[in-house]
Amino acid sequence: MSATTDAQDVVAISLPPQPAPDPDTQGFWDATAQGELKMCHCTACGLWMMPPLERCRTCAALTTFDKVQGTGTIYTFIVQRQAAVSGYLDSLPYTVVIIELDEQAGLRLPGRLINIAPEDVHCGMRVEAMFEPLAGGEFTVPVFSPSRKPA
Amino acid sequence: MKTSLREAAVVGIGRTSYVRKSGRTTTALAAEACRAALADCGLSAADVDGFTCFNTGGGSASPSAVAHAIGVEDLGWSLTVAGGGNIVTSTVMGAITAVTSGQAEVVVVYRVLGSETRYGKNLGVIDVEGEAQFSGPSGFLVPPQWFAMFAQRHQYEYGSTSEDLGAIAIQERLHASKNPHAVGKDIITLDDYMNSRWIAEPFRLFDCCYEVDGAVAMVITTSARAKDLPHPPIYALGAADSNRSGGSVVQYSDMTTMFSAGTAPKLWERTGLTAKDIDVACMYDCFTFTVMATFEDFGFCDKGEVGDYFREGRATYGGDVVVNPHGGLLSEGYIHGMNHHYEAVLQLRNDAGPRQVANAQTALVTSGAGPFGGALIYGTEATL
Repeated sequence: MSATTDAQDVVAISLPPQPAPDPDTQGFWDATAQGELKMCHCTACGLWMMPPLERCRTCAALTTFDKVQGTGTIYTFIVQRQAAVSGYLDSLPYTVVIIELDEQAGLRLPGRLINIAPEDVHCGMRVEAMFEPLAGGEFTVPVFSPSRKPA
Repeated sequence: MKTSLREAAVVGIGRTSYVRKSGRTTTALAAEACRAALADCGLSAADVDGFTCFNTGGGSASPSAVAHAIGVEDLGWSLTVAGGGNIVTSTVMGAITAVTSGQAEVVVVYRVLGSETRYGKNLGVIDVEGEAQFSGPSGFLVPPQWFAMFAQRHQYEYGSTSEDLGAIAIQERLHASKNPHAVGKDIITLDDYMNSRWIAEPFRLFDCCYEVDGAVAMVITTSARAKDLPHPPIYALGAADSNRSGGSVVQYSDMTTMFSAGTAPKLWERTGLTAKDIDVACMYDCFTFTVMATFEDFGFCDKGEVGDYFREGRATYGGDVVVNPHGGLLSEGYIHGMNHHYEAVLQLRNDAGPRQVANAQTALVTSGAGPFGGALIYGTEATL
């Protein structure tokens, strides 16, 4: 992250932070644009990796982006109540979760949690990925919602 | 300890005042702290041949610029380390190693923070690169959010509470109330803590450090030269670092722990010491929970016991170990952990005045939070 600016001296921009894809991450954003969640996956040993890498960190084989179910469990979460990030100054409070995806223990993805009041959220809760356009018009981001299926 | 570590010592410390808005440049602040550290040990710019600092990009002042600003004509060893609290130990140990290896004889190590650097909010960001591209767009971008995630998981697994986090904030503020240099000197009660506004739940305002403008500098030289200088030399007995999950907060495996789960065993093994041997613990405290997790990791108490430990008075004068006698980043001010090194040296010199820890011989100084960080133990001549 680059150096920040004193909150008192800056006019907050209205857009949320925009992803800056690179050759290792482009496949993730290409997939979300199609309403699909794809994660970096080793073509040889099958290890899932986040953040994505060009080659597997275990066996050095090439990776690809493969579709995941989009289901998982809340590992932890916060309820953001202080205006701290551009694009979210007028939408407080909001809940951010870190999800462990079902494909692999410890494979995590952060995102906002929707369709539930903050006081009802707890670690261990089952969720599923949905997609929302990111203000700014160029990207689609995954968000999470309580699972509609029984665990 | 490694015998080579005996060949260098911290001989001078200096700092600016810590204020919310200094109206000064980072070069000016750093120069003041570095001059103060040299004056403290009776040396001058002409004696200095090494400078090092760390920063997170922007909002700092380079070693060559600061050296020039205080009158150094030909700086021999100049190293800027990229990083924040996680890299303080490595930066200080780099300075010590520069001396023990003969690359430089007198090294100044410093950190400066000006008003243009505030980490708690980030309202001007447009593009987010690297791992942040997966979190920033969801409004998840700044440190209070990262470490509140850790605290939440700890509360889920071990039943720690807001009151436990509050006990840390209250204790540190009480220590700061006896420290004229602290920005947060008004003592707080549990009610004050519980009624302070939410930031990123489970963090409230008093869980977060006090960001300020200021600078801290230390002078390190050879032990041989240290013997001729005014203060008792303070030695690094050992240090260790851990860098896990590529620095990723989100992917860090066990968020009830921090880097210190890896650092602590290395540090105890390298020094032959244990938590019971530590008189002063300057625990890196960007947030209250950083103290909780690292304190457990270093073995001062078991998981989930930190709240009771603080409430029972074991983390203050007359207890087991005095934690952050200066008030830490939470209450003295956020100089990115370099002020913890200043306090450790002051305590081991027996120069801390009303907040002096009786017969302090060893000080643990941790740095960093979450996936990466380090720790260093200082000792007096008697501990060698």
